[in-house]
Amino acid sequence: MPYDLQTWIKVAAFAGGGLAMGFGAIGAAIGEGYTAAQANSALARNPGSVGTIFKSMLVGQAIAESASIFALVIAMILLFSNFTATSYVTVAGLLGAGLSIGFGAIGSGVGSGFPAGAACIGMGRQPAMSGRLTTNMLIGSAVCQTPSIFALVTSFILIFSDFSKVPVNPAWAALLGAGFASGLGAIGSGIGGGVVAEASCEGIARHPASVRQVTNIMLLGQAITQTPAILGLLVSFILIFKKFTATDAIAPGMALLSAGLCMGIGAIGPGLGEGIASSGGVRWIARNPAFTGTLTRTMLVGMAVAESTAIYSMVIALVLVFVV
Amino acid sequence: MMESVRETQKKYCSRAMTAAILIGFGLILAGQTPMGKGVILGTLFSVINFILIGETLPLKLGKSKEKTFFLSLGSVMVRNLLMAVPLILALKFDQFNLFATIGGLFLVQLMILADHLLSRISQTQKSQI
Repeated sequence: MPYDLQTWIKVAAFAGGGLAMGFGAIGAAIGEGYTAAQANSALARNPGSVGTIFKSMLVGQAIAESASIFALVIAMILLFSNFTATSYVTVAGLLGAGLSIGFGAIGSGVGSGFPAGAACIGMGRQPAMSGRLTTNMLIGSAVCQTPSIFALVTSFILIFSDFSKVPVNPAWAALLGAGFASGLGAIGSGIGGGVVAEASCEGIARHPASVRQVTNIMLLGQAITQTPAILGLLVSFILIFKKFTATDAIAPGMALLSAGLCMGIGAIGPGLGEGIASSGGVRWIARNPAFTGTLTRTMLVGMAVAESTAIYSMVIALVLVFVV
Repeated sequence: MMESVRETQKKYCSRAMTAAILIGFGLILAGQTPMGKGVILGTLFSVINFILIGETLPLKLGKSKEKTFFLSLGSVMVRNLLMAVPLILALKFDQFNLFATIGGLFLVQLMILADHLLSRISQTQKSQI
């Protein structure tokens, strides 16, 4: 039995919605679970600070959940909107939207759990620093949400743009590729940003005097850790907005899909690696603030080297889009 | 233990609801009734979600990492089902603006961030004086 366009649109919207919420719930749950596990450890160490630790856990979990709410928003739009389309490209756009936010919410959810957990442990150690730790945790967790916001933006563009005038082949592959580039590209940066913020909360609890340097370097480290996700967003924008000529061949479409996959998968490792490099810098600056300059330089060099593989992925993705 | 959590919930929930009512009222006065209603609807469910996070906290303590993960996953799923209600309403009925409803869903988180950032700024200014 042949299916008409409207049926395929519904199929794509339902599948996209399921993918968005299914993948989108994973990260927040891991982040929340990690926070609760660290709160246990902090409570066992310092049962007297139960109120402060519980408050921190509550606030940390509320922020960690934001990424899964982004996924929920996209899933609901996909499931309950009436999409009237005149082109099969919309099918790929809706699937791409679900993939983008589903994958994109994983890293931010996991990452935001790290600073929340470290803040709980820190409060067990240094109850007097709970105010500074909470602020630092909130800033760190909020920055962790940035990659999932990139994925959310891509999803909105894929859902609300009019693709009726673009050729079905190869645009279908470009839109799916955009979802992969933006969604998978956000995973490493989200977790990496969380690793940096965790080290910063731990550092403040161990050496409260170093709070100013630690917070500043944390923000610098988190900003650089976001670059693989930005590269993913860039490639996804190129895939969405570039004008393609219609073709019957399958190879151009596969090249565009591969470009998205290449950038998305290629950004995971660098995001994580940069987060680990930056967390080392932050951790040791907290212990030895007198060497902030030297430690920051070493950290930045390490992060730049870790970034290089994301740049290789971007180069190959651009070759696949513009040359092949 | 739970008193301290409830105090925190009361503080942020009342601020979020007050902000939502003021913003919503302002939007309704400006002729943007669906947006005003959307903000209030989204915030109401955001507040309920925040209260539920606090109420489920004791369930997650004293368990193994695996149990905590699965309890968290269940808790996220149940609360996400609840958060889906205002979005479905906004998508199905024209009297609620979808984007204003989405904004309302994040008002509690925005209040938490704003509270800590503003208090940090005022403390820094005091220490400079």
